[in-house]
Amino acid sequence: MTKISCRQICFIMLIYTAVSKFIIYPTYLSYYTGRDLLFSALINFAVQGVIVWSVSYLCSRTDKTFFGLLKDTFGNIFARIIFGLFALFFLLATINPLFEQKLYVHDIFYDTVPSLMIFLPVFFFLVYASAKPFLNIGRCADICLPLFLLSMLLILVMSLHEVKFDNFLPVFTQPKKIFSSSLASVFRFIEPAYLLMFMGRFRYKKGDAAKITISYIGGAVFVLVVLAAFYGIYGDVAPTRHFAISKISLFFPAIDLVGRIDLLALYVLEITMLFALVLNIQLAIECIAQCTGYENRAVLSVAVNAVFFLILIFCDNKYNAISTLFSKWMWIVFLIFANLIPLASWFLRKKNEED
Amino acid sequence: MVTLEKNIKGVKSVLTSEDIIVFEFASLSGKKFASIYADGVADKQLLGELVAKPLKDVKEDDTLEDIKKRLASPEVKDGDKIADAIKEISDGNAVLFVDGEKDFFIIGLKKPPGRTVAEPPTQVAVKGPREGFTEDIKTNLGLVRKRLKSDKLQIKTLRAGKQSDTAVALIFIDGICPDGLAERVQKEIEQKSVDIVPDSSYISQFISKKPKSLFRHNGSCEKPDIFCAKISEGRVGILVDGSPIALTVPYMLIEDFQAVEDYYQVSYRSTILRILRLVSLMVGIFLPAFYVSAQLFKIQLIPYRLLLKISSSVSGLALSPSVEMFLTLFLLEVLIEASIRMPKYVGLAMSVVGALVLGDTAVQAGIISTPAIIIIAFSAISLFTTPDLVETSTTLRWLFLIIGGSLGTFGIVMFTAFLICYLVSEQSYGVPLLAPFAPIIKGDLYDSIVKSNMYALNKRPEAFKAKNKVRIKER
Repeated sequence: MTKISCRQICFIMLIYTAVSKFIIYPTYLSYYTGRDLLFSALINFAVQGVIVWSVSYLCSRTDKTFFGLLKDTFGNIFARIIFGLFALFFLLATINPLFEQKLYVHDIFYDTVPSLMIFLPVFFFLVYASAKPFLNIGRCADICLPLFLLSMLLILVMSLHEVKFDNFLPVFTQPKKIFSSSLASVFRFIEPAYLLMFMGRFRYKKGDAAKITISYIGGAVFVLVVLAAFYGIYGDVAPTRHFAISKISLFFPAIDLVGRIDLLALYVLEITMLFALVLNIQLAIECIAQCTGYENRAVLSVAVNAVFFLILIFCDNKYNAISTLFSKWMWIVFLIFANLIPLASWFLRKKNEED
Repeated sequence: MVTLEKNIKGVKSVLTSEDIIVFEFASLSGKKFASIYADGVADKQLLGELVAKPLKDVKEDDTLEDIKKRLASPEVKDGDKIADAIKEISDGNAVLFVDGEKDFFIIGLKKPPGRTVAEPPTQVAVKGPREGFTEDIKTNLGLVRKRLKSDKLQIKTLRAGKQSDTAVALIFIDGICPDGLAERVQKEIEQKSVDIVPDSSYISQFISKKPKSLFRHNGSCEKPDIFCAKISEGRVGILVDGSPIALTVPYMLIEDFQAVEDYYQVSYRSTILRILRLVSLMVGIFLPAFYVSAQLFKIQLIPYRLLLKISSSVSGLALSPSVEMFLTLFLLEVLIEASIRMPKYVGLAMSVVGALVLGDTAVQAGIISTPAIIIIAFSAISLFTTPDLVETSTTLRWLFLIIGGSLGTFGIVMFTAFLICYLVSEQSYGVPLLAPFAPIIKGDLYDSIVKSNMYALNKRPEAFKAKNKVRIKER
């Protein structure tokens, strides 16, 4: 049964790709690669873009879900094991964004750093939203697109006039670091894994692979523009500025007269960020349901979010350690699940093709 | 042979109330008749003109058929069960018994007291038709028939309410309305057993899949022109006897941003007004909450010079911003509620006392500040730009105020995301509540926030899955 449309997948690729990289990623890149940050990001996006195209093109060859393909090739038990691992992968992929969200929320929503308790009600939302069926993912993306475009338009208009392009010169001063930072950023690029989960859940029409890939490129362009604006404005002090998206529009002259209207745009954008977080958890729950055969999403949602709740409570001030763990050690996991497995899925038996 | 007395007794043994009148009369030849009706509901004058007068020439040996031919009423039905007679009398019709006959006639004389057709107070149009529905279902059906002369117009009459036995009419256009939709609505109404149905709002809850939801799941209107336009898009309309509010299903949230005049004026103006209504709704719901959370948690949200003004107003206030706003909003709700309930003459005095004396004194006494009053007043006015959503939006304003006052702007954002998540999964008879935005239905976007000209609206809304999709075509 079709539960999501290609258009909605395109929106997910465009919006969620972008918003998940607006918070710490620019600071991280500017710290490691300095003025070459755009090249590092370009490498990641180029590689991911190819994989996104590859997976979406695979959808034209089969109308089966990824689980169906695994089952046909290796049997039910193996498919369940893989989906169990994917569930763990999506859970893992949620940890870093969740911590980034907490820090970001504390920064842009409050004048003084509040208690962790003020962020915890987010779990009410996460439990509710991630218990919703698959249908919701696409419809939320439909709503998020205009919100995303409006807020990005406002933020970028407010920031671009301050960009000093000479901050990017000279280029390629640290080529080695470009590649190493690309590799360390792999954990932020999991879009092909999303596509694997959407496979077989939408009716593929001719040209859909191109549309999905173009949408992904669109999301990448937004990230690159924000990276450029961020480094263009702050230059060498960029590594000391966190939460890039909230910092680039600070110097808009009209702010003195009309107040921080950029904050309103950021608040609207935050809605999209929350849904991006939900997407990971929803997919994790979907994988757990496939793996275990347990269909009660409400219970799964409570269980999964309880885990995140505990992680957040006990590791409240450990963001640096978590970030280091992901960038230094976990990249291999993300390389496998978000890059190699999507590519390898071409070798799975696509029964209807043989038929 | 069944005597007249026996029939009268049969009816009076059940309808014992004093307003059930038995009118006995005889023809010149001595044939006896008895007409039973409910006083105040049936038209006595018509009974005399259309029944008693023509029957004066009936002969002793005339058959029932002969008698029926003499009756001048256009609405005469045959009956043979006392239970049917009782039902019709209760409904406002008269029953005519003939001496020596078991069978009887039901004469359509229903004329319940009611007002004449007038402009409804909630959907006023500067340009466009001014007729509104009344409490009488027959008048309302007439108003619909007047506008939809199509032979495809279908009206199904149901009864609802054990005690009230209220007439409910399902109205749809055959060939446009999707198959099975009217049957689904009928089933929903018939499945529910309730004592009385005083208003269509009861039916509104019966046909809603989620009656506890904060958001309604069916549309409502008081004007026949809107009602007919909705039906001709593929919806099912519901008229309830005793209620001037007509219901329509399926329903989309965007309907509440579409005013009747949008279709009678230039489309650009309509688009601007719809955007204005949307923005006003947002302002009305969010402004008090944002004001409080900005003061408490993120002062940067307020422009510097405005902040200076506000700080001079709030300095010396005894209450915290959230309590102050809560109190002001409470005061407003009390004023609105009291002004609706009170007699008109007292209401005028009360608005002076409430708005001027109470408001002004409260500011001077340092209990509430001027900005708080301005914000609440602006919020209240803004919400009334979408009158059909006022019930929902005022509740949401309270919720957002509580959340904004306790969690700050993040709470507001989070609750907004929660509402979006809730709304995207809601449906009204298979039509998503947020259509045509989630899911996006391209064709229907031309009559959403944007109102295109009539030529762009050549297709019926796709969301309703109407059987005949074409609305405008060249002849």
